[in-house]
Amino acid sequence: MYSEMLGNKYFLARNYEDAAVNFQHTINSDPVNKSARKKLIICYTQIGQIQKAFESFYQLVKEDLNFIIETDPVADDCPCVELTDKYGNILPYENESYDLKLMLAMLWLYCNAEKSLEFFKRILIENPNDNRIGEVANIIETKIRLTNKLTH
Amino acid sequence: MPEPKSSRDEILDSIGEGLLTVDKNFKINFFNRAAEEITGYKREEVLNQFCKYVFKCELCESKCPIGLILESGNPLYDFRSNIEIKDGSRKPIKLNAAILKNESDQPIGGVISFRDLSEIESIKKDVSSAGSYFGIIGHGKAMQDIFRLVQEIADSDAPALIQGESGTGKEMIANAIQVTSKRKDKNFVKVNCAVFPETLLASELFGHVKGAFTDAVKDRPGRFEIANEGTIFLDEIAEMPLQTQVQLLRVLQEGTFERIGESIPRVVDVRVLAATNLKINDALKNGKLREDLYYRLNVIPIVIPPLRERTEDIPHLVNSFIKEYSKLYNKVINDIDDRALEILMNYDWPGNVRELENVIEYMVVRAKNESIQLEKLPASIKSTFETRKPAEEFKRESPSELLQLLKKHKWNKTKVAEELGIGRTTLWRMLKNLEK
Repeated sequence: MYSEMLGNKYFLARNYEDAAVNFQHTINSDPVNKSARKKLIICYTQIGQIQKAFESFYQLVKEDLNFIIETDPVADDCPCVELTDKYGNILPYENESYDLKLMLAMLWLYCNAEKSLEFFKRILIENPNDNRIGEVANIIETKIRLTNKLTH
Repeated sequence: MPEPKSSRDEILDSIGEGLLTVDKNFKINFFNRAAEEITGYKREEVLNQFCKYVFKCELCESKCPIGLILESGNPLYDFRSNIEIKDGSRKPIKLNAAILKNESDQPIGGVISFRDLSEIESIKKDVSSAGSYFGIIGHGKAMQDIFRLVQEIADSDAPALIQGESGTGKEMIANAIQVTSKRKDKNFVKVNCAVFPETLLASELFGHVKGAFTDAVKDRPGRFEIANEGTIFLDEIAEMPLQTQVQLLRVLQEGTFERIGESIPRVVDVRVLAATNLKINDALKNGKLREDLYYRLNVIPIVIPPLRERTEDIPHLVNSFIKEYSKLYNKVINDIDDRALEILMNYDWPGNVRELENVIEYMVVRAKNESIQLEKLPASIKSTFETRKPAEEFKRESPSELLQLLKKHKWNKTKVAEELGIGRTTLWRMLKNLEK
């Protein structure tokens, strides 16, 4: 039987494929479940479903950006650090595929909003007609500016 | 200021079993006092932590107990394992685990209760040194034959297949085989084939290489590699998927296997002991166990009789468990009431020695005197005998049956009383009542 808890169990064990199936079922019956949606995005990036990941990511960023930005990699056992490490030190302007850059842009938002923004901006330069990428970049940039203003 | 404890927390703190609960994210949200004592962690240190970092039991390393229940839907009872406690040492425990669900039947958390077995293990060692065979009590012929066989095969590396109902002590026999064998100083690895989901058992036994499947993030040796030069005990062998049975057959025949995702054969020297609680003929007939594997494993067949077929051992087992548990619970209990023992001797024991052990523990916990009284028997066992037709009822409802019995024994009242399990005086009273 599918459940969010079983999804969490697979997610903790980094079994993204089975976690994704369970989270997808959870969201089908509880579409506002942000916790399952946040983890499902990561699962989709790891099973090669980057567009599906971005669909969920786009909705969640528009709805509640802080819910992703405020992820604590340790307290939430979020794999963002190990996953961004896995792809080495790929920089936004390097000659890499759209999907890889989009995946890194999404993953970085869980642990470093500035890095995430760098990737989204670069993707926008390479794909100027991609309105949704522009929209996400604007939301993140506004948030960073606001945070910086409050800090200073 | 700390929050005042709820009465639920007070109750859970007062029980002797360690108890922890986790939320749906597998973070600990309750940790009772006994859990603190067993693990060495303070409640404040573990609350809101992922349980895998605190409750480091052997099972967590391969499969999380609550995860297993989520996957299989079956609760975990009396699962023996070892946990790593705060000071880094390991403690033997017995755990039960279950899932907590909301009103929509969705899992929202889990509960693990566990008992520290370190003391009981050491007591068992003491008891085992006094009149038992490596902790196994068996004064009857069937068990004595098994002990003799275990001694005879001490020099052998041949596989053994241990059959017996659940709770008869198959694992204890496997332990005895291992400690008497020439491999006694080498690794002894135990695997319960029923615990692992089909897809994971092969990886658990034979290991895998990085990338072999989604979750294989690094190379991992299997239990066979860990058991190299030693012994492996495969419990509930008939639960092993057929594909894995083929791989096991190859290890038995050639001593080689391959890690999942790799094509390089690896050589191992492992003695295989296997056990099953299924009837072998049924398992073979319905295809649960491959015939060729069965013959390979069954070189040394050991069949442990169920407890109901060796009732002569019950008094010895009862005494031994009374000794163990009265020591564990700091009580002075010397024996058991004759009538209670009689009921224990006549009970069917579907759960065999394990069930008897649990019953004695229950009675010792409840006992107030030096002798355990009849009323301390668990209701489930007492009711088995209470539902048997009492003599008074017999009198009221079936005078014709009583008459038949009298005729059968030619009006010998002593024999009739014996058959009814009542005294002659009672029978006399019943006959008097019949006359009224």
